[in-house]
Amino acid sequence: MIDNILAGSYSLLLHAVLLGLFIIGMDSSSKPHFVAPQKVDIVQATVMDEVQVLEEMMRLQEIEDKKLQEEKERQTKVDEKLEETQKELARKEQEFLDQQERAKIEQQQRDIKAQQEQDKIKQLEQKRKLEDDKRIKAEQARKLEEDRTRKAEKARKLEEDRKQKAEKDRLHAEKLKQEADKERRAAEEKQRLAEADRKAEEQRKRDAERKARQAEEDEKMRLAKIEKDRKKAEALKKKKEADAREAEAKRLMQESLEAEFAKEAQEREATRVAGIVDIVVLQIKQKVKRNWNRSGATTSGLEVTLHVKLMPGGDVKQVSVIRSSGNAIFDRSAETAVYKAAPLPQPKDPKAAAELRDFQFVFKPE
Amino acid sequence: MTKRWLASFWLLAILLPWQAQALIIEITGGSEAALPIAIVPFGSEGFSAPEDISAVIQNDLSRSGRFAPLPEGDLISSPHEKSEINFKDWRLLRSEGLLVGKVSSVDGETYQVQFQLFDVYKGQQLVGKRYQVAASGLRRLAHQISDQVYQALTGEIGVFSTRLAFVSVMDNVDGSKRYTLQVSDSDGANPRTVLQSKQPILSPNWASDGERLAYVSFENGKAEVFVQEMRSGRRNSVAAFKGLNSAPAWSPDGKKLALTLSKAGNPEIYVLELASGKLSRVTHNSQAIDTEAVWMPNSRELLFTSDRGGRPQIYRVSADGGRAKRVTFEGRYNASPDISSDGQTLAMVHGLNGRFYIAVQDLDSSAVLVLTETGRDESPSFAPNGRMILYATEENGHGELAGVSVDGRIHQRLGESDRDVREPAWSPIRK
Repeated sequence: MIDNILAGSYSLLLHAVLLGLFIIGMDSSSKPHFVAPQKVDIVQATVMDEVQVLEEMMRLQEIEDKKLQEEKERQTKVDEKLEETQKELARKEQEFLDQQERAKIEQQQRDIKAQQEQDKIKQLEQKRKLEDDKRIKAEQARKLEEDRTRKAEKARKLEEDRKQKAEKDRLHAEKLKQEADKERRAAEEKQRLAEADRKAEEQRKRDAERKARQAEEDEKMRLAKIEKDRKKAEALKKKKEADAREAEAKRLMQESLEAEFAKEAQEREATRVAGIVDIVVLQIKQKVKRNWNRSGATTSGLEVTLHVKLMPGGDVKQVSVIRSSGNAIFDRSAETAVYKAAPLPQPKDPKAAAELRDFQFVFKPE
Repeated sequence: MTKRWLASFWLLAILLPWQAQALIIEITGGSEAALPIAIVPFGSEGFSAPEDISAVIQNDLSRSGRFAPLPEGDLISSPHEKSEINFKDWRLLRSEGLLVGKVSSVDGETYQVQFQLFDVYKGQQLVGKRYQVAASGLRRLAHQISDQVYQALTGEIGVFSTRLAFVSVMDNVDGSKRYTLQVSDSDGANPRTVLQSKQPILSPNWASDGERLAYVSFENGKAEVFVQEMRSGRRNSVAAFKGLNSAPAWSPDGKKLALTLSKAGNPEIYVLELASGKLSRVTHNSQAIDTEAVWMPNSRELLFTSDRGGRPQIYRVSADGGRAKRVTFEGRYNASPDISSDGQTLAMVHGLNGRFYIAVQDLDSSAVLVLTETGRDESPSFAPNGRMILYATEENGHGELAGVSVDGRIHQRLGESDRDVREPAWSPIRK
């Protein structure tokens, strides 16, 4: 876009130049002055190598030549184009004229004439313009030269700057390097220190572990000792218990033996007592029977159960009917029999007697 | 509460095994001997009672055979009421019952009598009552007290205050005989003549009210049936048909008499309705003698003696007539039936080898038990309590009254006279 604009501008400029040249052309013929107050740039030149400058100048001349050549060619082309354009215009005008009223051909011709005249003016104008352009071009060339010089200066400066910058960079790099070295060294130192710390830490840890191990070992030993003591105590206790058990077992055996003996004695005693009781029960039976007069009751199939408590010596303490026969006379005959039989036979043996203090009677006729 | 419960539980747990093995002594048998009883002579405050009440009671109880009164000499003291009794002493005498009482005079003719019967071993009063009675009623009251003692100690109804009717025969100096119908106390004492005749008197029978007697009298030259009222002495001939009129028996309601009549030619059983005089024939057996009818307690049936089987046996027949059913089969001779008040036991004269005994037969089982031994026994009559049977027997050449218990264990003689007595009838319990 910019290129286009530039191109456009450039083209417009060329036209303007051509027109100027045209005018100049016309003017030069008349007024060959045209001294434009110019301001000359003072080039701040630096001393350069002559050869270099020459070479440069030559190169710039070539470039300039080439440019001129190119300019010429372009001018030609412009001209051609102008012509072409004019021709086109004429053609179009012709066509326009043709198409328009033949009747006005004269006018047209007049117009053409005026046009031609005008064209002539235009051409002059263009010629002047071209001269202007030439002048402008020269100006431009000069300017270009100035630019070139400026550019060279600038390039030199740039080179210098570059060199300075390179130096500066070098210095900077050197500095950076130094700084890096410093940092590296610092880092290394830090690392070394860290390593030292780590090692110290490890050592410390190792020491701690060792200490811990030692402590653990000591604790183990201590516990082992405690355990050993405990076991010892337990063993002692067990032994004591075993002894006690044994003693208990012995005692129990003794007791059981004694119990056995006692039991046997008891059984013998029980048998003895039972024997006495049996005899006395028979005596009681006979005595009560002798004293039982059931003549009062005539009904057979009766049965009464009495609960009897005796006093020592066989006297009757209490007689109660615990299951009646249903016949009061019969019940009473049984009760009376017990009372009448009193004192009931009692054994001298106190144990046997004890068994005959409280018992039941069942009275039945058959 | 729970604790107490637990305690009871444990107590129970402890006691149970003991209970389970509690000594039990079984007494079987026992005697049926007479019950020893101490009868203390009743006190009489400073006067002599016209009747020895305690003596009458003692005699009653003793005669029943169920009691053995202590001899008066054995009595260690003479209490007349409970406060005076030391039961221990009486226990030493082995007497089971102790009867005390006293008589006091209210006025010249009226007496107050009280008695108490004690269980000596329990020291408890069994029965005790107080009466006011005229002098003439003292003996009868004594019998009533006997009845109460008897009932208290045996559980059965006493029959000491009942009466007996019987026929007494006496020889006159001229050789003729004198017949009297007599009524005595149940002990045979206090006999009163209710009828006297030169002709035979037979078969007295008590009406259930105890106020009327039916009997057979030959006073008119032939056997006629009379009914006599006891209080008034009024008597009526109720059956004087042609032929034999005999063996009267009161129906339980006292409205009818079963009779033996031969007005149709052959002795048959009839029922006479006293109020209307209506007579209905029960038996129709012209080939045999049917006689000695007695009413069953149900009033619907009669028992009677018949020789329709060839020998005298006892039959049962509906009072309305109909087919008679033989009841006795044991032995060749069974006659003169009487029935216990419960309708269960038949008393009869049982002939065996030419001798005659009093026997009883259980009507359900037909089991026969001979009760007497003399072999000259007749006219059995049940006591109203069914425990005794009164009958006539022959002793020393003349008839006597005797009693026997239905189990044959107790025998008693009634009366001491040398009179010839026969045909006894035990009165019902006077209501």
